[in-house]
Amino acid sequence: MAEVGLHSVKKSFGKVDVIHGVDVDVADGEFLVLVGPSGCGKSTLLRMIAGLETVSGGEVSIGGRVVNELEPKDRDIAMVFQNYALYPHMNVAKNMGFSLEHRGGSKSEIAERVAWAADILGLSHLLERFPKQLSGGQRQRVAMGRAIVRNPQVFLFDEPLSNLDAKLRVVMRSEIKALHQKLKTTMIYVTHDQIEAMTLADRIVVMHAGKVEQIGSPLELYDRPANRFVAGFIGSPAMNFLPVNVRGGRVLLADGSELADLGAAAPPDGDYVCGIRPEHLDIGANGAAARVEMVEPMGADTQVTVSLAGQKAHLLLRDRITSNQGDTLFVAVRPARVHLFDIRSGKRGN
Amino acid sequence: MRTELSTGKKTALYGLMCVLLIPFVFPTWWMVTSSVKPISDIFAFPPDIIPRAFDFSTYSKVFELQPFARQYWNSGYIAALVTLGTMTFSSMAGYAFARIRFPGANIIFMIVLLGLLIPAEVTIVPLFQMFNRLGMVNTHWPLILVPIFGAPSVFATFVMRQFFIALPVELEEAARVDGLGRFTIYRKIALPLARPALSAVAIFTFLHSWNLYLEPIVFISTPEKFTLPQALTQYTDAYGGAMWNIQLAAATLTALPVLIVFIVAQKQFVEGLAHTGLKG
Ligand SMILES: Nc1ncnc2c1ncn2[C@@H]1O[C@H](COP(=O)(O)OP(=O)(O)OP(=O)(O)O)[C@@H](O)[C@H]1O
Ligand SMILES: [Mg+2]
Repeated sequence: MAEVGLHSVKKSFGKVDVIHGVDVDVADGEFLVLVGPSGCGKSTLLRMIAGLETVSGGEVSIGGRVVNELEPKDRDIAMVFQNYALYPHMNVAKNMGFSLEHRGGSKSEIAERVAWAADILGLSHLLERFPKQLSGGQRQRVAMGRAIVRNPQVFLFDEPLSNLDAKLRVVMRSEIKALHQKLKTTMIYVTHDQIEAMTLADRIVVMHAGKVEQIGSPLELYDRPANRFVAGFIGSPAMNFLPVNVRGGRVLLADGSELADLGAAAPPDGDYVCGIRPEHLDIGANGAAARVEMVEPMGADTQVTVSLAGQKAHLLLRDRITSNQGDTLFVAVRPARVHLFDIRSGKRGN
Repeated sequence: MRTELSTGKKTALYGLMCVLLIPFVFPTWWMVTSSVKPISDIFAFPPDIIPRAFDFSTYSKVFELQPFARQYWNSGYIAALVTLGTMTFSSMAGYAFARIRFPGANIIFMIVLLGLLIPAEVTIVPLFQMFNRLGMVNTHWPLILVPIFGAPSVFATFVMRQFFIALPVELEEAARVDGLGRFTIYRKIALPLARPALSAVAIFTFLHSWNLYLEPIVFISTPEKFTLPQALTQYTDAYGGAMWNIQLAAATLTALPVLIVFIVAQKQFVEGLAHTGLKG
């Protein structure tokens, strides 16, 4: 087990800069998730930690030791790849034991470790099979088994669940979480699925275009996104953004109707973009008038699309609703759940 | 995806294959049957599909007239060495060209490929002079070294390179994380997965060496050192006329190992294919 440090880490491919100076300190035993849209550089960052990609600038350290110049094999890390990368010509037992064998472990020692890992992952009956004789979920497990037999200091995962179907993904997600609770080894996990990030992480790093947008616990990111990008990225369905004017603590929509009163907690008067999560828009007797455009019942909750001062917005309601298209509702939001962002910079204003 | 053909279509397909087979099967059949025909029957027209009389003494004469067993051994061990050498050399070179980034890699690869464009007839004289200076004329060295470092090996290198390029990079990255260095990755991951390509290389390298004709007649002059293609031409009577049936008996014996190599390598080829690919 070890902590991992990234200090002003940069990466360029030729003339193209893809990582523009990233600083993250991962604590010993932490489950850190890197999340961000496609192409933001998550994999590149992870591969730099693994040693599969050279570091163009800054410092990567594992267990207090700078590893910039070390080969992957000398970093004591294990990695699970998106497409599993199992060795097709070796059976499951051989796949899992390969690294130990290569490092000169004794036969009985290897067999013992493989049996231990297979037991944890429920692979004991598959040890003789070849990768092509396994289902996607089983392959995924073998890939994890290959990582854990070695008992490395750090686990790296690059979208390990993205090739699985939705149901299996949920199952494996809890298995990974259980695995982390059992092994208590530092894990760094890349995904572009924010639900995966929220459910697994001790802390999440939100990345965008090669930069870190915010680092924090899942609930910190949910409750107080530092900027508009994070606000829009974390949470599902996505946050509503409405242009507002703040005057004397009151948050006013374009048509002058009041959405919330922040009182003393309000930022200076002026124009802002107001972010409100769909689940935080409450229906009541008063508030801003919203015309119903679509009602989508989903069983447990109901998603309602409304037009609010000419802007489209979504509501996610726990209660069932009798309104139809064209009806008018009155919506309001509790002051603590209003996120105000600077129009130009997108930075949080309140 | 496998689709079932209707019986009619199947029959037509097999019929067509039988017709297409004739140009390949007939000469072989003619060679084998003529080797046991009395010499007078060989040029009978139309040719006899089944020999009218059998004369197996041609096969013992093959060994009486020349040190044929010795020549067989010569061809065999030379082809084996050339095949092994080429497989080693071309797989390493192919891997390097496919996976190791080094300055000038593309230019060097182009230059290597240029070797394919130069016919053996052009290089044979300078090669003779070179081996002559090294005292290797009338030894088997030229027959071993020239193919391993010459055009056939270049082609093999190209085949191996294309194969290694198509191999998923993640496999090698996983191996790097698992603690393997460059050479062990080549040895333990890339090479075992390259069985189909290696078998193809083995087949055509073996055939090329086994059938080599120009180089032996240039470099070798004593019958004990002859290889088979060269020896075949030596079955002549006192007047220089070919002893056709004996020659064809020798040719039949010569063709045998080719068949065996092909069957063995083909099995490897198919089994190897079954293991390649990430998803299998
Ligand atoms: N070998 C490479 N050469 C040049 N550019 C590259 C290379 N690898 C990645 N890039 C670029 O770097 C950027 C980040 O890529 P990266 O694979 O890290 O994205 P990602 O966040 O993992 O995306 P995804 O979610 O799609 O996997 C992309 O713009 C990509 O085009
Ligand atoms: Mg990626």
